[in-house]
Amino acid sequence: MDLAYTPAQQAFRMEVREWLAANVPAEPLLTLECEEGYHRHVAWERKLAEGNWGMVTWPEAYGGRGLDLVEWLIFEEEYWGAGAPLRANQNGIFLLGPTIMEFGTDEQKARFLTPMAAGEVIWAQAWSEPGAGSDMAAIKATAVRDGDHYVINGQKTWSSRASFADWGFGMFRTEEGSKRHKGLSFLLFDLDTPGITRRPIRQLHGDPGFAELFFDDVRVPAENLLAGEGEGWKVAMATAGFERGLMLRSPGRFQATARRLVDLFRKHEPEAAPSAREAVAKAWMDTQAYAYNTYAVAAKIMAGGSIGAEASLNKIFWSEMDRAMHRTAMQLLGAAAELRHFADGRMNDWLEGYIFSLSGPIYAGSNEIQRNITAERLLGMPRVGAG
Amino acid sequence: MDFLIDPERLELAEAVRDYLAGTHGPEVLRRLDAGPNRDAVIWQGLVEMGLTGLLVPEEHGGLGMALLDAALIARECGRACLAEPLVESAFVMLPWLIAQGRTDDLVAISEGSLRPVPAHRINGSMADGDGALLESVDPLRNLSALPDDASDDPHLLDLGALMASAQLVGLAEAMLDQAVEYSKVREQFGQPIGGFQAIKHKLADVAVALEFARSVVWRAAQALDDGIDSAALHVSHAKIAATDTAWLAAESAIQVHGAMGYTYEVDLHFWMKRAWALGGAWGSRAFHLRRVDEAVIGGSHVIGPENTFA
Repeated sequence: MDLAYTPAQQAFRMEVREWLAANVPAEPLLTLECEEGYHRHVAWERKLAEGNWGMVTWPEAYGGRGLDLVEWLIFEEEYWGAGAPLRANQNGIFLLGPTIMEFGTDEQKARFLTPMAAGEVIWAQAWSEPGAGSDMAAIKATAVRDGDHYVINGQKTWSSRASFADWGFGMFRTEEGSKRHKGLSFLLFDLDTPGITRRPIRQLHGDPGFAELFFDDVRVPAENLLAGEGEGWKVAMATAGFERGLMLRSPGRFQATARRLVDLFRKHEPEAAPSAREAVAKAWMDTQAYAYNTYAVAAKIMAGGSIGAEASLNKIFWSEMDRAMHRTAMQLLGAAAELRHFADGRMNDWLEGYIFSLSGPIYAGSNEIQRNITAERLLGMPRVGAG
Repeated sequence: MDFLIDPERLELAEAVRDYLAGTHGPEVLRRLDAGPNRDAVIWQGLVEMGLTGLLVPEEHGGLGMALLDAALIARECGRACLAEPLVESAFVMLPWLIAQGRTDDLVAISEGSLRPVPAHRINGSMADGDGALLESVDPLRNLSALPDDASDDPHLLDLGALMASAQLVGLAEAMLDQAVEYSKVREQFGQPIGGFQAIKHKLADVAVALEFARSVVWRAAQALDDGIDSAALHVSHAKIAATDTAWLAAESAIQVHGAMGYTYEVDLHFWMKRAWALGGAWGSRAFHLRRVDEAVIGGSHVIGPENTFA
């Protein structure tokens, strides 16, 4: 236990801070969930890549900086502290990237990771189906081997970024008649492949942040299979672990929200009941607790450990904390809470953030599923009546 | 920067855990409750493990360890619902005496022959003191009236609050374990009640709270060890997180136990009552929340992602 940064870590922090100060857009970008906003965020991804900040923990061979997890946390703290934009390529760099590093061939690593870090290819996830949400093993979409291709048929839904992104990844049933977790394979596909129809779905805020994907005899080269045929579930569980675990939601983002909430409270302090202070103080406490825990998990991984079902605790905590902070802000704003833009023209980012926060307890495995995992795998409570 | 607690530091705490699990089980709590609730043999066992000298500098014959090490052991004392005043004496009073330069009695304290206990105005009473007895809901806590010369030193308060927090973590862990075990054996509707999601989710919430309280407590211990300016804020954060977690664990555990949990016959009540006691001792939740509020909203502490360890 040593809670002081080394001089090298402090110097790195200053390097990040300087680059961000010179490059973060002065005005917040239009929302990532609409087409124009998406393209602005992609441009920002490329700007990050120019500075070699695309994915700092990746090996240098794939366009990263080969940094350790403490340096990654420092980067993230500065990133969110500077008010930098959301990451358009989040699905790629935090989910698929680590999965390819673990399961991909050298050829796949070279083909997919470098353009991902460079912001040249933006990735969408394609997990859920109409009949396979929390119960992901109920997947029906098929991929049938035909020579050196797989032929995909079926439907995916709630595909984040799929309205505008370049490539997608997901799980398909490659073994005819297979059930549940067996016979599934993990495939990567160009979203412009003939036979794929994208139907953007308007999200709660009105913009098409995700899409339905229809596959009609879509031919995907067999070299886009990640790991072996039939090993999809194993790969997907690793990906879901990354999603719930360390990297997807770095503490810096929440700490920045807590700081903004403190500022908002100070503006509303004259009319606010003293009891409102507690929710604001709790925002600081919870975001700090989340940060300490992330540093603890990072230290554990750096010492050779790994995270398993603890990732579920993490996901429950950050998603409900984020919702609570935005709820507090909405309640402080009062009549202004409903405005998409304030009278002075600024976007009401508390409203946008609150809407987004409502997705946290649902996606990446609903919090009900996470609580089941916690109870069964961490606490050892009995599995009864579950499939 | 390394938030990992060294495995060697955890080894001693694990040894204490094993020792208390073997010598200080629920049957001991029941025995102490039925008779005199302090036991010289138990105390001597703790002395022989070196725990009374844990924080005594090596030049005074102790182990010279840090508050973080003591906090890790205080957690084990909470887990065992230890009745002896080890934490208040050796982990709160003793480091305060050392901080004040009062080192005359360190050898006697190490050897276990002297066990001074802290008296602080924040508490209104004291544990294991000499004054007129007060009755606590916790049958294993010996409370007495506060002497006139009780301290109001903020450092003593921080030490007491930190060690109460660490004990509350251990208490919560023990109550969660008891509830989980009960849920596996108690059957209704033809199955263990732990198979019902209503029970699973209740206890999963306790696991979440614990996961995020532990790091806060260790951070506060390290902040006091490092003597950073903001240490009091981190202690208050720890006390709130640990208190909330322990009370959540207590209320969840009694609910899972059903009517059995409402009896004096199920041992859960010992841990629950200690959680009530320590949740209020060394500064109420409201007191500590005020300190956090003044620092964070009042603006005396710099916040935001760049200042995680400020």
